[in-house]
Amino acid sequence: MSRAEVGPPHGVRLMTFPILVENVLQSLMAGLLVGAIYGLMCVGLALIFGIMRVINFAQGDFMMLGMYVAYFFFAALGVQPLFGSIFGPYVAAFLAAPVLFGVGYFAHQFLISRVSGTRTAQLDGEGHYAQLILTLGIALILQNASQMIFGSMVVSVRTPLSSTAWIIGPLWGDFIEIFVNKARAIAAIVSLLVIAGLALVIGGTRLGKALRASADDPTAATYIGIDVNFAHRIAFALGISITALAGGLLAPNYPFHPFVGLEYVIIMYAGVVLGGLGSIIGAFWGGMTIGIVQQMSALVLPTQLQNSAIFVFFLLIVLLRPQGLFGRVTERT
Amino acid sequence: MKLGRRQFLASAGATALTASLSAPTAWAQAAKEVEVGLLVPLSGLYARFGTSCRQGAEMAVERINKEGGIKSLGGAKMKLVVVDAGDTAEKAKSAAQRMVADYPNMVGVSGAYLSTLTLAVSEVTERAKLPMLTLSYSDLITDRGFKYIFQTSATAASQAKQAMPVVLKVARSAGGDPKTVAIITDNTAASVASVKPMREGLLAEVGLKIVVDETFTPPLADATPLVQKVRSARPDLLFFLPTVISDAKLVLEKMNEFGMGQGRVPTMAFGIAMFEPDMLQTMSPDLLQGMIGSIGSWGGKGHEGIASELKAKYKEPWVDQNVISTYGDFIVMRDALEKSGKADRESLANSLHTLDGGPSKYYPGGAIKFDEKGRRVDAGLAIIQWQSGTPVTIYPESLAVGKPIWSKK
Repeated sequence: MSRAEVGPPHGVRLMTFPILVENVLQSLMAGLLVGAIYGLMCVGLALIFGIMRVINFAQGDFMMLGMYVAYFFFAALGVQPLFGSIFGPYVAAFLAAPVLFGVGYFAHQFLISRVSGTRTAQLDGEGHYAQLILTLGIALILQNASQMIFGSMVVSVRTPLSSTAWIIGPLWGDFIEIFVNKARAIAAIVSLLVIAGLALVIGGTRLGKALRASADDPTAATYIGIDVNFAHRIAFALGISITALAGGLLAPNYPFHPFVGLEYVIIMYAGVVLGGLGSIIGAFWGGMTIGIVQQMSALVLPTQLQNSAIFVFFLLIVLLRPQGLFGRVTERT
Repeated sequence: MKLGRRQFLASAGATALTASLSAPTAWAQAAKEVEVGLLVPLSGLYARFGTSCRQGAEMAVERINKEGGIKSLGGAKMKLVVVDAGDTAEKAKSAAQRMVADYPNMVGVSGAYLSTLTLAVSEVTERAKLPMLTLSYSDLITDRGFKYIFQTSATAASQAKQAMPVVLKVARSAGGDPKTVAIITDNTAASVASVKPMREGLLAEVGLKIVVDETFTPPLADATPLVQKVRSARPDLLFFLPTVISDAKLVLEKMNEFGMGQGRVPTMAFGIAMFEPDMLQTMSPDLLQGMIGSIGSWGGKGHEGIASELKAKYKEPWVDQNVISTYGDFIVMRDALEKSGKADRESLANSLHTLDGGPSKYYPGGAIKFDEKGRRVDAGLAIIQWQSGTPVTIYPESLAVGKPIWSKK
């Protein structure tokens, strides 16, 4: 029996201590679930911006592409009839990731590589000015082309999981129940598994070592036989596909349109910088922190200041710990 | 005669030159066209709504031209210029500035959609003395003493006042007796204007007590903090004022998740976001069943022809406020141009101020007549309700195609 059926009469519930505790725990849960997805998005950008130092303002728009690819796999390419509305959304999200890996690979080969990697290592600003302009251009093209192709109708991957919850409780007599949204909870678990897998690949495999070496010192990496441009291409494509996977996991809960990337790209950059440049795990915690601050700030501040609270917190971290939560002291934000 | 390559190129160039020199004559003939504009968001967060406005405008202009154009101007055809307002007040204002600079012959414009955008755009159109018709709700739009702005919908405050007795009547006739209400609103201009009279005594007058009053900035990332507050207060009724479809989905799904969905806390929305066909692309129709909406205008009885044309042309399942109001704007512009017999901004504005077009056909209630502020006289509203996967007009009776249902807790 849910608490809605057993609680006191309508409109007479006062803000008692158990209710306050429930509000705090519910907001914390929402923050953790939202934060896990933010964390995965940030990890994708961390590979590109935090490690390879390539500025990519189109990251949100590649995520939008990932959402649409997942949507089409689910709704039009047979995933829903085959796997149903419970497993289908996650299968579609995992199918979107390799597609966007390919998109990222070719985008790097034909565009990004012209303004990054060994070509620009010796230049003033390491090609960042050109990267900024190029990726902004890519973002505009992706947004407008998507609107032409997909239209302006808002869509999402429809599953009953997005409007149902597992309930923890009742605790403290009948007073406290914590709702855990099923779609967000599954997305959070998948995010954690993907990040753990990525950390293993980056930390313990030959590919990971090549990526790290190429990021740390492209010239020295070339001397020891690493194909730096290829390593950059793989890192870029991997970063895009991970963010696209995050988009696919978000698609059941969050309706999207061709301009949805703009809503997330700032959060991604804030998360990467907050976590500390150069750290994959740091980027995850950066995203997680943003989710928790965003959701819990509504407990003490007007809800309309949720996003302002993120950036006040961000400025505080930059002020008190310029290298970010997990960054090295030498790398200031 | 055989032409060499150079002679061929020379003669082709001469032909092109002659054609371009003779173009002014052709242009002068084409000047029989009357240029009218549509300035609505076609990119960003509100692109979907602007697209609906565009559909209404295109259908109306096509109909006007098919019926022989503007007869008092010698059958001049209407030429529609569509401009993207973007999704912020700053973008909308600069789009309006570009529009008035690029189209000096434009005689009138419709659009802006969101009150926040309309407030910015009308600053520019007023200075350019360009008459603008809008469906936006904010009272401020026509409270600034502007002479070239015409508001076809009832203002937000007027809608709130008109809607309240109707909603309570519907609730009581179905056995409900709401005493407490929660308000969740975004902070766009129309929503703020709708909520203002509610907070300032309108709800108290009808015996409703506000137990939650939350304002958010769209788009939401997650609706948990908002809906948790509703859950803690247990209101009899929720007034929800979103302008973005994603916010509507997030709040309604969260209501269901927290055991308050599907009518357990009857929900009434102000504005269009919860009634777009997109809602069916994003969530189950079961979660929408019974949701009531108060809207400036909606397709209903008498709009069947427009509905079937819209379905055939754009594959849209129903005629929403944006389609029908924008359609109406261009018909009103045509009637005003017919009356003035002159294709200039000042004449159109004067004609709109003195127009008496009889009972309104494309907007609910009242007449096609504007008061000194530019508000449509006796403008009413439409109340619609999700019933079996379709928003059905339930009020006013002149438009209604269905009977109201009240969800039982």
